[in-house]
Amino acid sequence: MPSKYVIHTKPVPHRFEPITKSGVIAWEEGCLKCAVCVKNQCVYGVYDHRHMDDRQMVDSIDNQCMNCFRCVQNCPRELIHKSINPDFMVMGDSHWTPDTIARLWYQSQTGKIPVSGAGYPGPFSGPGFDSMWTDMSEIVRPTRDGIHGREYISTTVDLGRTPKNLVFTGEGEMNEDIPPLVHIPIPMMMRLPRFGAVNDQTIKGWVMAARHLDTLLVLPQEICSQYPLEVQRHLVPSIGTGFKKMAPNKMTRMVELIWDKDWDKNIEVARYSYPSAIVAMRFPLSQGVEEDIPTALDAGCPVIHLEGRMDGTTLDQPSQYIKDGIRRVHQALVERGIRDEITLVASGGLAMAEHVAKSIICGADAVILDFPILIALECRMCRRCEKGLSCPVEIDQADSKWVARRTINLMGAWHNQLLEVMGAMGIREARRLRGEVGRAMFFEDLEKDLFGTLIKVKEGYELE
Amino acid sequence: MNKADIKPNGMAAEMSNGQNPILAIFYCQNIPGGDEGSRQELESHYGESIRLFPIPCGGRLEPLHLLKALETFADAAFVIACPEGACRYFEGNRRAKKRVERTQAIIESIGLEKERLGILLGSREKPKTLSRWVKELSEQTSRLGVSKGRRL
Ligand code: SF4
Ligand code: SF4
Repeated sequence: MPSKYVIHTKPVPHRFEPITKSGVIAWEEGCLKCAVCVKNQCVYGVYDHRHMDDRQMVDSIDNQCMNCFRCVQNCPRELIHKSINPDFMVMGDSHWTPDTIARLWYQSQTGKIPVSGAGYPGPFSGPGFDSMWTDMSEIVRPTRDGIHGREYISTTVDLGRTPKNLVFTGEGEMNEDIPPLVHIPIPMMMRLPRFGAVNDQTIKGWVMAARHLDTLLVLPQEICSQYPLEVQRHLVPSIGTGFKKMAPNKMTRMVELIWDKDWDKNIEVARYSYPSAIVAMRFPLSQGVEEDIPTALDAGCPVIHLEGRMDGTTLDQPSQYIKDGIRRVHQALVERGIRDEITLVASGGLAMAEHVAKSIICGADAVILDFPILIALECRMCRRCEKGLSCPVEIDQADSKWVARRTINLMGAWHNQLLEVMGAMGIREARRLRGEVGRAMFFEDLEKDLFGTLIKVKEGYELE
Repeated sequence: MNKADIKPNGMAAEMSNGQNPILAIFYCQNIPGGDEGSRQELESHYGESIRLFPIPCGGRLEPLHLLKALETFADAAFVIACPEGACRYFEGNRRAKKRVERTQAIIESIGLEKERLGILLGSREKPKTLSRWVKELSEQTSRLGVSKGRRL
């Protein structure tokens, strides 16, 4: 058995004070000057070590307060309050919520799984992945001796085409070449987010992280070619229109093309320039995409990248989520009998570790992460960079080593969560998790099964 | 303020070029036009010459905020709060007013003009938006010029 794949993490501090959900409002006016002030009784010493970050005008009491409410409750004149921080509430959008962003920061800083305490206070169901529950019937297994205990859970996945069957000669030799496969130890690849105040140093940090994690980073071809050959194994050049033939590069293991009008011309150029590479085709995740996939497969693209929107919906239908799109495409390929010849990778709006497991259950083999690796660098999803405004956390000033360590921490935390989910489901192979919809429940299906017939009205009749 | 003087893209503390006065504005999130979108629009319009800080309540503001701003990057610092009697925390704005007055006395004692600090309370009858306040304040500060405090 190969040695266990473990991502070692260690705390990597923030460069800026993170925005906290709440702030302390402590009024001096009307203070009775009690002999023992409640502020001195704070067990965390929040008021004793108070200082101000002058870059952001952030008061340290907000970041250090543990929300025990002792000072709030015990001040006899009720001069201390806690209030929701407006800066926190305006972060991100309805998909990249302030809480999601804060959790990503925590994971990148500590490399640990965020734990929210006993019980789940959230809603029963929600849009997208939130309407999906996984079967945790074997929850006792990982807790027995931990996710890194005796049990071997493999998260390795293969990218490329697997032949339907093997053909042998009369002498027992293989009659055909086995197509190349790329193995990655985690079902998570990375790519550049669509916006962000990133520069060469940031990208270099992500390249270092991809190397360390032994996974792949998708980058525009012109950026990939700037990196030395030994790094190219971990890079996936993304090739667009206008790409010209170049001297063959045999180190690259995968290239990505875009499903546009020039795809068939680009495929030839890509094959010449990257002779050893598996070709992936990026499709927008929209209605009818499953009709075009066989064409790409026949042309020699066994890896299909389904790209959703950054808010987790499909490209043409805002009411459809990527989980629905992946399920639909996976099912269509199964029905055509070609699913095993194709590797499906999904991207777009994947914001939490659970989204990785859920995408795989819906039918993806692996996922590609973009914004989480930007948020790992303290990004607040304010999108000021898109408007040419300065980045409040100066991501473009960050050192590449720091970028790499924060990204590794995030991936480490997500890998551990994937192990937890798989362990609790009793699944020991990420490859076996693919398409296991029988091990999950979908709210919309349950609702239809339970209530579908109750409110059906015969045509021509009206409810009173 | 002459718009040609405004340089885009700047939040770093050391952004001052010593010529354009820089204004720090702490505003209560509850005032009209105090949303994040308006903040970004104002920042792209005024560039380096203003820095905006939303606060949950005017009463959240401590003298330290104002002094730190004057010391590190700003030529003037203002607080914009809700009208008298309209504070969500009942008297946050009244308290903020007292604090600003206290801080004005401090800066005067070290030789800075007290006009470099101020608090503006909205009016119930004629509410002003954040962008209106910022326009008026930026005209006011351009008359004050660069502060000695920032060069200390
Ligand atoms: S709420 Fe608790 S942790 Fe926070 S400042 Fe008050 S006493 Fe300290
Ligand atoms: S914090 Fe804002 S400006 Fe900086 S990279 Fe993120 S979205 Fe862009």
